[in-house]
Parts: sequence; structure tokens; C-alpha cells
Amino acid sequence: MSILDVSHISKSYGDHKAVDDISFSLEKGSVYGILGPNGAGKTTTIRMVMNIIIPDSGDINLFGQKLSEDLKNRIGYLPEERGLYPKMKVIDMLVFLGELHLMKNSEAFNKATSWLGRLGLKEHANKKVEELSKGMQQKVQIIGSLLHDPDLIILDEPFSGLDPVNTNLIKDIILEMKASGKAIMLSTHMMEAAEKLCDQIMMINHGHIVLEGALQPVLEAHGTSSIQVEYTGNAGFVRELPMVETADIYSNYFEVRLKDHQNRNMFIEELIKKIDIHSFKTMQSSLNEIFIRLAGETPNE
Amino acid sequence: MNKIITIIKREYKETVLKKGFIILTLLIPVLMIGFTIVPALLVQMETDTPSTISVVDDSGLIGAALQSTLNDTLKNGQPKFIFNVIHPGGKPEDVLSSQKALIEKEVIDGFLYIPVNVADSNRIEYYARNVSDFQTNRTLKNAVEKIIIDQRLKSSGFDPAIVQELTHDIKLRTIKIQKGGKETDADFSSEYFSTFIFVLILYMTLIMYGNSIMRSIIQEKTNKVVEVILSSVKPIQLMAGKILGQGLVGLTQYFIWVLVGLVLTLSGGSLIQIEGNNLLNFSAGTLIWFIIYYVLGYFLYSAMYSIVGVATTTDQEAQQASMPITLLLVVPLLVLTTLVKNPDSSLIIGLSYVPFFSPIIMFARINMSSPAPMELILSLLILVGTIIFMIWLAAKVYRMGILMTGKRANLPEIMRWIRAR
Repeated sequence: MSILDVSHISKSYGDHKAVDDISFSLEKGSVYGILGPNGAGKTTTIRMVMNIIIPDSGDINLFGQKLSEDLKNRIGYLPEERGLYPKMKVIDMLVFLGELHLMKNSEAFNKATSWLGRLGLKEHANKKVEELSKGMQQKVQIIGSLLHDPDLIILDEPFSGLDPVNTNLIKDIILEMKASGKAIMLSTHMMEAAEKLCDQIMMINHGHIVLEGALQPVLEAHGTSSIQVEYTGNAGFVRELPMVETADIYSNYFEVRLKDHQNRNMFIEELIKKIDIHSFKTMQSSLNEIFIRLAGETPNE
Repeated sequence: MNKIITIIKREYKETVLKKGFIILTLLIPVLMIGFTIVPALLVQMETDTPSTISVVDDSGLIGAALQSTLNDTLKNGQPKFIFNVIHPGGKPEDVLSSQKALIEKEVIDGFLYIPVNVADSNRIEYYARNVSDFQTNRTLKNAVEKIIIDQRLKSSGFDPAIVQELTHDIKLRTIKIQKGGKETDADFSSEYFSTFIFVLILYMTLIMYGNSIMRSIIQEKTNKVVEVILSSVKPIQLMAGKILGQGLVGLTQYFIWVLVGLVLTLSGGSLIQIEGNNLLNFSAGTLIWFIIYYVLGYFLYSAMYSIVGVATTTDQEAQQASMPITLLLVVPLLVLTTLVKNPDSSLIIGLSYVPFFSPIIMFARINMSSPAPMELILSLLILVGTIIFMIWLAAKVYRMGILMTGKRANLPEIMRWIRAR
């Protein structure tokens, strides 16, 4: 059963279509990445899932039910625009957020304390939020979205403003949440992080989906990939193989492009019959290249 | 409901623990004490040594009579003034300068100079180190005046005692007749004064708490915390929590002030007394109506101020945009004099039905003229209806506008928010 089912949602502001007919679904124990340039409609989509913005048309189902305010207690949300009460103590702020998700005061306090310890903020618990650095506030905010042990976690740009050490810390937490069976939806500009974290991705631009699906097939379908082989023997036959589209052959190194990605194993079978392989490497276009190519075609204003 | 309570709790705790709130809450009672107890203490601490005053009487009319006319005594029984009548021996200038020297050396407290032609010029002079003690000045002036008038009367063939008897003041006692035949001793100044004080408190606190709601909404938008909160509560819950939380803050403040007032009244007699009249005379009923109208007025105005808070992005913008609301609160102050003079005039009765004015005007009418129950109920119904409408409107605007951070919304845009589903 999907945790989140979004079907054909659209939202316009005046003449501007912010989100146009977007559908996707999110499974338990998986990470779903929403990628796209600034102004593509990522945040609007997320806000509609959060019931903060009401879609003009389309349906959103959460945990198998129609989206409602009560279900929101089971979502952990990190908005793109971070915000905490600057004058409140860190621990009070977190307990407040916990209580807003119907946690008991003591439970919220204990959970918040253990999270603060885990993210290295224990000694800052009694400081005011405004006394913390940007990065620390970001971590407090992330704790706030995880505190009530939500089943669906929505993180809008979770890595912005974090140094590499903290980025890794948050990545680990996301993977841990995934392993414990939560569904995680994140939007990011950081394609590298998305490539490492996401099981499924959706790339949107101008409110449309330009790319959607499981990460690997998407990469293979939309990236151009080439195979580089180091060998000894006579590789002249490679050019004649039925699955090969183009081949560039040197005396102990060749590079080929296959007609179809599915044929990679068959291709290897053919090779090992005739030549001695030293190395075999598939070079794929990264998500980053795909992103730049797709987003770059129609630049946003 | 739990979520609203969480928001109320946060709103209350964070405001009540703020320095500004604590200072204001404590400052007002300190001022109250300052205005009531300190003058009383000062009167009690009145010097218990007589003032020694030399009288240089060139006219020869005053000196002898002064001590007997001015026979006030201090609390310890000693006379308040000791007059040394000095008969000018040498040149007047010498006497004056020698007396001035005595004042400087603090041998005497002052001297009174009566010129030869005092009966014609009507002028006397008083020299002292401290001439700003208006009570002493007035006492001396009245004494000399009485002596001179008595002498003029005598020289015209009248008996001063008879004249005083004949020109005695008439005292007017005013009795207020209320509905139900209740009679109370009251007069203009006490009615006016207590009504005025309460109206002023209503006016100030409605503006103050309305503004603080408005500012806090803008702050939540500025530091972006609003989206985090809206991810778990409905906009109407957030607004209800904020309004109720701030309202409780206001009631807390009132409670502290009333408590201090009661303690002062019980310990130090009546709050403010001027010449024997208790100027702050009000009943428990007045207090209850006051709380009712504060709560109702607060709901109405905080809903209106929060609409402005949602539609604007900075404090300055909000101050400007909230001017019309503040002006609505000023209107009752403008008609306050009319209200006190004639609480049953058609203008006042008309205004007391207008929901924006009724919290102040109806309250004042109740205090001054006991309006008919039907009038009261009708005015309250209109007010409550408007409050419900305003809160609905505010919630609507709040839902649509709270995530707009870019620019200030204009009126057509707000109308669109209201119409949006």
C-alpha cells in the first residue's frame, strides 16, 4: 500500500500555472526525490501535500485516506523556509512542536533531549534559538520534523546551509529512517545527494513532470552510457556484435555504446569467450547532467 | 482543541515572561502607588516645627491682627506660623536688606512686607527661601486679605461677622436616581472621573493588545515559523490560540492591577481623594461590565488588527494600515464629553449600537445612566454578531494570506482571499 498517493493535482496563481497535472506515489521504506530548478513548483507541490495550499483540482490520499488535518500529525515536515521562534529556548521550541503533534509534554521533552544529544546540540538546549548558528538552527528544525516519529517525512531542501559533516549526518539519519520503514520525500538541488539517497525520483520543470520513476532506469533511459573495456587479445569482432551501436577500438582499450542497456550482460558473455578483460566500466551520465540538460532546455525566468 | 491550548500556552508564557510585559505590569501599580500613597505620606511628613516669619508692616494695619487671624496649629499643637512684627525703625531699604540677610542665614523662614498704601494698591510682598509652597503662600494671602476686607467693612459701617453670615455659600448636594428607584450620592466629578479612567483603560488596552497581536503575526511571517506551525495546525486554530493567549495576558495584567488597587484601597483608604470627594467611586457591577466589554472589544479589535497583520509585511506598513482601526477607537473618546453631559442623547444612544464603538460607549452609558435591558441586549447581540463575522473573516484572510511574504496585499487581493474557498 502506498503511503502517499497524489493524482493529477494542479494549482494556478492567476494566469501562472505553478503545478500542472502532477501524479506520483510514495511507498513505505523508500526515499522519493523531487528535483527541479528554482520556481519549478516543488514547494507548491509539497505545500499541497501538507494541506497548506489547496489544489485547484486533483486528489491527494495519505495512508489510504483522503488528506485531512488529522492525518497531518503523522507527517514530519521541514519547510523550505526555515523558521523558529528566535526568542524561545531550543528545548522549549522543540517541546512546543512536539505538543503541536499531540505528544505529551514529558515525552516530547525526552525525545527532544535525546535528539539534541545525537546531533551534538546537547549543551545548546537551554540557549535561545537566536543564539545558535544557522547550521545549528537547521539541525534543530530537522529534529522538530522528526520528533513525533512520523510515518511520512517531507524534507524541503534538507541540505541547504549545512557543511559536509552535517550533510552526512543528515544523510545517515534519512537512510536510517528509510530502513525503519518510513516513507521519505525530499526535494533538493543537490543531485549527488539525490543519486545516493533516492529510490525514486521525479524531476519537474514549469510545473510539469519531465522525468519520473525508479532512479536506475531513469538514469539509463535518459542518460547516455558508454562501456569502457581494457583487454588483451583481438577485439575486432566487437564491432560486428548485434547489440553494439558504435565502437571505438584501440589495441588494448575500446569504448562501445550499446543499442539497448538490457543487453549489457549478453555483451559481457560474448566478450569473455574471445578476449581477456582487465577492466570493465560503465560510464553513465549523472543525474546532474540529465538535470542540467532537461532544465537547461527551457530556462526559467 | 489540544493544539489550540498548546498555542495559547506558548503565546501566554512567552508574552508574560517578556521584559516589556513585566515592566509595564509593575510600572502601572508603582505609578498608582506614587499618585496615591506618596502625597498622603508627604502630608503626614509635614514639618513639625513652626515657620518663623517676620512681618514688616509699613501700613500698621496688619501686623497686630495677623497672629490672631492665622492661628493654624501643627499636629503637635504648636502654632504653624510665628510672626515677629517688626516696626520699621530706620529706612525701609535697611530693614528689607537686614531681613533678607536673616533669611539667607536661615534665622527666619521668610518675611512679609506690607506697604503703606496696601489698602489702595492691594499688593503685599513675601520673601522666602522657598516661595513655591503654594499652601503657605495662599494661607498668608488669605489672612491678609481677610484683615483688610474686615477693616474696609468696618470703616464703611458694616459688621464683618454679620456680612460673613449674610454672604455664606450655598452647598449643592447631587443625588443620582437610577432605574429601580435607587438613589446614590454622586456628582459630576466622581461620575466623570471614574468613567473617564475606565474608558481610558479600555481604549489603551484595546489598542495595545490589538497591536501586539498584529505585530506577533508579522513576526511569525518574518521569521518564517508560521509554515512550520501550519504543518500541524489549521490557520483558524493558530489564530484562535493567538487571540485567546494574548487575551489571557491582558486579563492577567488587569487582575494584577485590580489586586494592587484593592490592596491600596484597603490599606490606604480610597484611591484618589481630592477635597474629600472620592473620585473613583464604582461598584462591583461596573467592574464586571468592564471585564465583559474588555473581552468583547478585545475579540473584535484583535480580529481586525490580525487581518492587518496578515496583509502587511513590516511593522511600519502595519502601523499605517491599522490607522483606520485606531481611529475607530478614538471616536468614543471624542464624544466622551457629550456622553458625560447627556448620556441619553440620541447621538450617544445611536453610537452605543455600533459594534465598533459599543464596547466603550455602552460601557460608559451603563456607568452613567443605566440603559434599558432591551437596549443593552440589542447592543450586545449586534456586538457578538460582528465579532463572529470578524473572526470568520480574519480566519479566511489568515488562511490565504499567511504564506504571502513578498509584498503587502492590497484590498482587491484581500477580497479575493475572502472569496477563495
